[in-house]
Amino acid sequence: MPDRQRPIRILLVEDNPGDVRLTIEAFKDNRVDTPLDVARDGVEALAYLRQEGIHAGEPLPGLILLDLNLPRMDGGEVLAAIKADPALQHIPVVVLTTSRAEQDVQRAYLLQAACFITKPVDFECFIQAVKLIDAFWLSVVTLPCGARG
Amino acid sequence: MSAKPGPHLASPSAPPDTAGGARSTRGADPRFDQILASANDAIISIDESQRITLFNRGAERIFGYAAGDIIGRPLDLLIPERFVARHGTQVRDFSTASEASRMMAQRGEIYGRRQDGSEFPAEASISKFRGPEGLVFTVILRDITERRAAERILRDTHDELERRVRERTAELEERNAQLQQEIQERRRAEKLLAEQARELARSNADLEQFASVASHDLQEPLRMVASYTQLLGRRYRSRLDGDADEFMGFIVDGALRMQRLINDLLAFSRVGSRGKGFQPVDLAACVAQVRVNLRSAIEESGAQIEAAALPVVCADATQMEQLLQNLIGNAIKFRQGPAPRVHIDARREDAAWRIGVQDDGIGIDPRYAERIFVIFQRLHTAAEYPGTGIGLAICKKIVERHGGHIEVHSTPGEGARFSFTLPDREEPPHA
Repeated sequence: MPDRQRPIRILLVEDNPGDVRLTIEAFKDNRVDTPLDVARDGVEALAYLRQEGIHAGEPLPGLILLDLNLPRMDGGEVLAAIKADPALQHIPVVVLTTSRAEQDVQRAYLLQAACFITKPVDFECFIQAVKLIDAFWLSVVTLPCGARG
Repeated sequence: MSAKPGPHLASPSAPPDTAGGARSTRGADPRFDQILASANDAIISIDESQRITLFNRGAERIFGYAAGDIIGRPLDLLIPERFVARHGTQVRDFSTASEASRMMAQRGEIYGRRQDGSEFPAEASISKFRGPEGLVFTVILRDITERRAAERILRDTHDELERRVRERTAELEERNAQLQQEIQERRRAEKLLAEQARELARSNADLEQFASVASHDLQEPLRMVASYTQLLGRRYRSRLDGDADEFMGFIVDGALRMQRLINDLLAFSRVGSRGKGFQPVDLAACVAQVRVNLRSAIEESGAQIEAAALPVVCADATQMEQLLQNLIGNAIKFRQGPAPRVHIDARREDAAWRIGVQDDGIGIDPRYAERIFVIFQRLHTAAEYPGTGIGLAICKKIVERHGGHIEVHSTPGEGARFSFTLPDREEPPHA
């Protein structure tokens, strides 16, 4: 990976421990050392982003990887809440989900997701996808100032 | 009745032609004789003993008697025998009645009797006055044979008309009853149809639900199985033996195939549930788009895709493209050698277009001509030709959604011709 001067954090919102671990492993396989925080559901994700309770003082992430199938508050609702919050709406949200359903894709973009990625079943492809996310969002793209940790 | 001819009233010796058959002693006013002679009706006078004393020319014409032959004879001669008695009673009754005249035939029709014995219906009035010789009765009578005939025709016509009206009414009532029954049947059918439509909507909703479940929930565990097996392989490659690698390969392959099947099943189910409305679609444009979509396959194989003039049809544009893409894609996929040729044509067939896709590929054993359209039915191993066997099932479902029919004709080794029909349809009423 190219050198990175900016310490950008990623928030992964994902309830399935298998997926969390897989994403971490994929980052590890790509030798990406971006700090990765994990929220297990939508409510926790918003608490984290709003620096409430135990999350007080946490820096804002530069990128959010959001699953859609979440307990308590689904990904769409989290996305809508983020985009409605002036303090958070500038953060790009990459929807990373198992779904390839057209209505999910439509809804995500309507709610201003930065992009929609269907998790490949094939792990090699998943690693490739993570590599691309990292390369594009954390290297190619210039993120807004507020997104820096 | 006493026979008592009034000598002042009739004189049989007078020449019958001078006064038109009337015999009168009143020569004073010649008009009187002329009226009698020219009258069209029979004017007959009788005396109290009902003997004829006056018989005008009209009477001669109607009854056939010459006045000279009948004057002085009883009136009964002019009446059919069966009415004679009644007539006599009526005349006597009239003679004592207060009125001076009355219509005859007040109790039924009256009939006259001609000299030749034949009868005719008549209409008559009778009047009386007291003369010097006693009562004089005068009958004015008209032969109404023709009127009766006309009346009968009228009555018959009227009856016939009524009969026809009754018949027609009965027919109409029957037809009406039939119509009512048909309407009821149609209503029942409509109700049934509406129920089926609701049922279908429910089942479509269920399918949507299934699609959503399949899309998320079924794939999640598959992805776990495949991904972690692969991760295992990556991390522990050097520490596991060849068998382990092979086994892991099968696990991953199974999971990936399962995922493709799920996605194909989803695509299949969406032909019906996600189909769009029908609108004019240029099939030539569809083929052009398919060329773009299949560019790599076309370039790789060196395929020649030729299309004859293709029509604009009323259809779901996305599905037409998918249909042609599946058929053309198959034609390229199941080629015999390099540079396969694919020809698309269209021809009219009663109220429908028949679109054909002809290739020069490996062909299909006619035994399997039906089976290849069944979902997940394959004729080749995945190693020979990859695929889940969904393409033609989707084609069939698309064609059937458009009310058409798809079939294949082929001789193995000489290519195959897939063709489908698209029945003509009006442009859709847009909701």
